[in-house]
Amino acid sequence: MLKVENLHKSYQVGKTTYEVLKGVSLEVKKGEFVAVMGASGSGKTTLLNCISCYIPVDRGQITLGGQPLAKLGEDALAEIRNQKLGFVFQDFLLLDGLTVRENILLPAIIGGSAEAAEEERADQLCQVFGISAIRDKYPAEISGGEKQRTAVARALINQPLLILADEPTGNLDSKSSRAVIDTFRQAKETLGATIFMVTHDSFAASFCDRVVILRDGVVWRTLEKGSGDRAAFQDLLLDSIREMGRE
Amino acid sequence: MMRFSQVYGRLRRKNWRQYALLAGCCFFSVLLITAYVCMMRAPTVLNVLPEGGDSRKQMMMIFALVVIGCGMFTAYAASLFFRNKSREMGVFLALGASRQQVKGELRKELALLSVLSCGAGALLGAPLAWVLWQIFRAVVVDTQEMALTFDPKAYLLALAFSLFVIAVLFFQGGRSIRRTNIIDIVQESRKSEPIRAVPRWYGPVGIFLLAAGALLGYLIPSLFITVFHWYPPDGFTAIFYLPALVGLYWILLHTVVNGWRRKRNRYKDLIATSMMRFQGRQTVRNMLVMTVLIAGAFFASFYVPMLGTGAAHGYESRPVDYAYHWRADQDIPQREEVEALARQHGVTLIDWTMAPAAVLGVDGFAHVETETKFGITYTKEYRELLCGDVVLSESAYNALTGEHIDLTPGTIAGIMDDEGSGEGVFGGEATRLTNMVTGQTMAVTPVEPLCYTMLLGRFVLDDGDYAQITQGLTDIWRENQVFFNVENCGETYDFAKALFNEIVDRSGPEVEQFDAYDQVQEILANQAGEPYGYARENLEGEGYEVIDYDLRDSSNFRLFWKYMPQFRVLDQADFVKTMAVYLVLFLFISVVCFAAVIVIAFTRCMTIALTNAKVYEDLKRLGAPRGYLYRSLRGQAGRVFLVPALVGTALIYAFYAMIMYFNGNPAGITASEGMGMAACMVVVAVVSLLFFGVYRLTLRKACQATIDKN
Repeated sequence: MLKVENLHKSYQVGKTTYEVLKGVSLEVKKGEFVAVMGASGSGKTTLLNCISCYIPVDRGQITLGGQPLAKLGEDALAEIRNQKLGFVFQDFLLLDGLTVRENILLPAIIGGSAEAAEEERADQLCQVFGISAIRDKYPAEISGGEKQRTAVARALINQPLLILADEPTGNLDSKSSRAVIDTFRQAKETLGATIFMVTHDSFAASFCDRVVILRDGVVWRTLEKGSGDRAAFQDLLLDSIREMGRE
Repeated sequence: MMRFSQVYGRLRRKNWRQYALLAGCCFFSVLLITAYVCMMRAPTVLNVLPEGGDSRKQMMMIFALVVIGCGMFTAYAASLFFRNKSREMGVFLALGASRQQVKGELRKELALLSVLSCGAGALLGAPLAWVLWQIFRAVVVDTQEMALTFDPKAYLLALAFSLFVIAVLFFQGGRSIRRTNIIDIVQESRKSEPIRAVPRWYGPVGIFLLAAGALLGYLIPSLFITVFHWYPPDGFTAIFYLPALVGLYWILLHTVVNGWRRKRNRYKDLIATSMMRFQGRQTVRNMLVMTVLIAGAFFASFYVPMLGTGAAHGYESRPVDYAYHWRADQDIPQREEVEALARQHGVTLIDWTMAPAAVLGVDGFAHVETETKFGITYTKEYRELLCGDVVLSESAYNALTGEHIDLTPGTIAGIMDDEGSGEGVFGGEATRLTNMVTGQTMAVTPVEPLCYTMLLGRFVLDDGDYAQITQGLTDIWRENQVFFNVENCGETYDFAKALFNEIVDRSGPEVEQFDAYDQVQEILANQAGEPYGYARENLEGEGYEVIDYDLRDSSNFRLFWKYMPQFRVLDQADFVKTMAVYLVLFLFISVVCFAAVIVIAFTRCMTIALTNAKVYEDLKRLGAPRGYLYRSLRGQAGRVFLVPALVGTALIYAFYAMIMYFNGNPAGITASEGMGMAACMVVVAVVSLLFFGVYRLTLRKACQATIDKN
């Protein structure tokens, strides 16, 4: 589904160049729920922004659904973002002037395909994520957890190949965080969604099938959940992070 | 089914305040510029303000300031708009909208917004100018020549400014979408505008640059003219004011970032200071614009008190109540007729002095100008016969002035004003006189000039020399000068007006001449086969209004008729009418500038308050009492309002004082200038009080919108 090969990305600040990604390679298979963890400055968000086509890469290859993204023009990239990717942001990025339902429909509206079928799908998504009651409310009138569930529903409206989530629980309390993670699991299980999530939160990551740990711009370790239980996987994650800190 | 454009429309309705703010700013800028342009290009104004004159230059200079101010203000409003809009544009792009798609919608709404707001501003600009002008006519002064007419061509300038505003909107809109990094666009509205560290020496060095720039800008052009004999183009000399602008920017930067006082308690104004600091360059730029506009507004508003006080002092200090002169071939009322007219009006003459004078050819240095690629240069060439000047005998001078001078034969004394200044009328030194009828010449040696304002620009000769050189002169080369006083001069307006009318009615068309008209120069021009610019038939072509007896109450006639009498009571009473167009025009300009300043300051204060509303919420949660929040808000609004007001006012007052100081020859401030400066101080006090009132209102509004919101 998603293949990242030898990805390099650096930033120029004044006369100094900071190399943030130093050859990251990873793969996400269809239907997988993958998390990326790492300390601040390890390159997690930069990696996500490169995959999202928000920022250009220096070197390396990103392939989505078999299609390399490197040489695509601006319009083609916009189409990829609209049709093949779904986004969930840390601060939701819902538009205050649109209702919950309209926010969910926004990618379809942008893609020019907000027909009856999409409206029906938006209603279904509202039902799946338990936000039907608030679908005509505006973002200012709903809670943080509801906003994030709306954002997840918006990410799914165009049935994308991959959902990219940037710290989706970062701004939420534990109850809302749990609800959002459940939403992702639900999306994966009932809708077959593939999810790639950047997070600091080991609890949220412990629900994933696989966790990629970045350190200083490279993949330090990849941990598979396998068939073990979630708590054990969280312990494994915490141990790994502690180990990384000691090195 | 919803379309992208419908989503865009929904968001537009939700954020209508941002659109209204931008549209309001564009409308206001274009409105002011159009009103100004209409006035500046109005035939009513152009007919009165002489081409190339100081008043017209001042009007143009302030117009340039208003254009820069309104231009920067519009650019600021646009940047604020796109900063706020960046989040939604970023979300669209992040969710897969193409830049073309977003650009298309943005273009449509910008086109609508800019055309409507600029169109409305341009449409209402002329009516605004007209209404303001009529209010001034009704409240301040009204004369026949104040009937306002507009030149449709003025709209070309208004159109050019509107196009500039539209271009700024489209440029900034395009730039906000063009950025390659979508994340940057999304986060734009949350970014503060950082100012890099500002060393403390910016403040004192800024003051030095400001002073140096003002001095250089004012003095260098005259240095070019006097030392290098070069009239540089106006745009070139403006460069020397640039250090002043840089200095001003540094002063404001230092004020915003560092502050002038090293406080004992550095935490006292911590919130206001640090919030202002991170409002960044935009705040300082806005403050710079406001400072410059305030300076321009005061510069315009000083015109009235300076002129009024100067004139009042001039009239009051005249040693005689009534003075007039005429060419000897004219049948102008003399003592008997004047006394009879006085009796009719119940006026009693106290004394009467009439003395003859002569117009003689005088030698001197002519400025021979050459046009070059880099402006006009000139050389001074000595001419034995350069121009004509009025010459008095020493006994005539003594009779008129009551002095007792006794010139040595072969010498000549020029007459300066009472304060020893030439005022541009004093002809300088003459060494050779010519009788224009007989051709006889006489060599003379200049001596220490005399001082007597009412005879400014004339020369005085020894009686014997006068008799010798004026022998054979016909009446057209002779003049008579009369001085007389009356009892209760202040109550003799009707008599003064009647005598003035009588003099004008009995003056022939041959003396219906402009002040600078010189018979000798006309003869020289005719001999050289060149047109004489001040000849009546050529005046209009040279950009001057023709002197017309039928328009004897117009400012042009009163100010520029060659034989205009000097009647104290008439001049005092008619001063406001004579100068009406000048007075009202500069009043109009200062009102426009102050309006611009108030709108900019209000907008900036409100946006600062609203941008920082979240900080006030947080401070409230941290337990800050209302008083603390109020002080913090006042700290910011105060800087935005009061710093430009203080700096702009002090700057222009000092600059004006400098102009007054260097204006005279010798340098110094005369009594009338001192009185004028005092009158300007009163204007500053009144306007500052008004400005402070607007500041308090704005502060209250900002409080309502932020700390008193919940």
